[in-house]
Amino acid sequence: MKYPLTDIRHNPTGFETLIGLYAKYASSKFTKIEVDMGHTTWFDADMCAPFGAILYCLGAQGNRISLTQIRPDVERILTKNGFLTHYGRAALRDTYGTTIPYQRFDVKDDRYFAAYVENKFVRRMEMPKMSAALTKRFRESVFEIFSNAVLHSQTTLGIFSCGQFFPKRNTLDFSVADLGIGIRRNVKEHTGLVLSPDEAIDWATQGRNTTKRGPIPGGLGLKLLSDFVSKNGGRIQIVSDAGYWTLEKGKVDHFPLSAEFPGTVVTVEINTADKQSYSLSSELTESDIF
Amino acid sequence: MSKELTISPFEVVGSPLCVASDDGQKVFERIQAALDAGHPVTVSFKNVTSLTSAFLNAAIGQLYGRFSEKDIKAKLKVAHLAQEDLALLKRVVDTAKAYFKDPDRFRQAERAVLGGSDA
Repeated sequence: MKYPLTDIRHNPTGFETLIGLYAKYASSKFTKIEVDMGHTTWFDADMCAPFGAILYCLGAQGNRISLTQIRPDVERILTKNGFLTHYGRAALRDTYGTTIPYQRFDVKDDRYFAAYVENKFVRRMEMPKMSAALTKRFRESVFEIFSNAVLHSQTTLGIFSCGQFFPKRNTLDFSVADLGIGIRRNVKEHTGLVLSPDEAIDWATQGRNTTKRGPIPGGLGLKLLSDFVSKNGGRIQIVSDAGYWTLEKGKVDHFPLSAEFPGTVVTVEINTADKQSYSLSSELTESDIF
Repeated sequence: MSKELTISPFEVVGSPLCVASDDGQKVFERIQAALDAGHPVTVSFKNVTSLTSAFLNAAIGQLYGRFSEKDIKAKLKVAHLAQEDLALLKRVVDTAKAYFKDPDRFRQAERAVLGGSDA
């Protein structure tokens, strides 16, 4: 069975192409699946997270995956970030250091994830020259995404992440994909609310809404991310189930996709040219907290 | 007067990266035990480089389900937090107070989303 893959950018069309791949083989077992990349002339490397998640999910059903006809430019980027080493290719050194490697984590791997972000991003000289405040906020943002996946997804197949610095665009994109129950089901199971997939994402990003129950409060992760990218001039994009949601330049847009992603993908795009200090307008002291 | 105790998340977690909810739980258990024993507590974030809401919800936010706001204000202090981390902790604390104070708020949120009445 062959699936022709077209260009993959981190936009609705890119996601439609990937979920089309999943929809085609979702019920296949012990099948040989060939992803024909002969017509893929561009691949936003951060999209390796959802792509890898889908391939892992299909592989977990006993299918054998092969990626064929990969064009040299695309092969170079997917080799540099380590993605193709998961599919039998040799690793290639990332000379210009623009990738944050593709990795799969288990839910208990918080510390490995923290070390990965620290070593593969924060300490690398080649990465964009950002202020200390922006670096800190970026790092904490990606931890928030990972924590969200750990706390909410109930995934048993893992969490997939990948990032890419685009020097010409002055953007740094980082994606975390999980193969969990998705936001719509999570909201339904915990609150009884029946929403469409994109409405469920919108609900989860608003005000004090949270699906957390029990002794530990929650409901801040996605709001903190949204606040940060709004100030930074960046973007947050969430795909969950068959819903697409984005926040860019303070504007939220959400709509249904034609099929389901088998989990949730959160991508944060930061504007690396941002020189804000992220200081607060009203200074807090330690006695103001409780 | 009971002796004031200092709890260091860096020491409890064993890392400057205080990002995981499970690690926050360990810090919560230390704070809870000290407060239960009547000791005032200072949580010193010295040498911590990264904090998340998930960690702070578990470590600090969850205290509001176990102790009164008055007790926490009287017996808990934090130290060595950068301005942006103080702001994050403040949001976590405000959210926790609301979470434990208003059990009906989920229904209110649901009504707001659905645009309907209580029926």
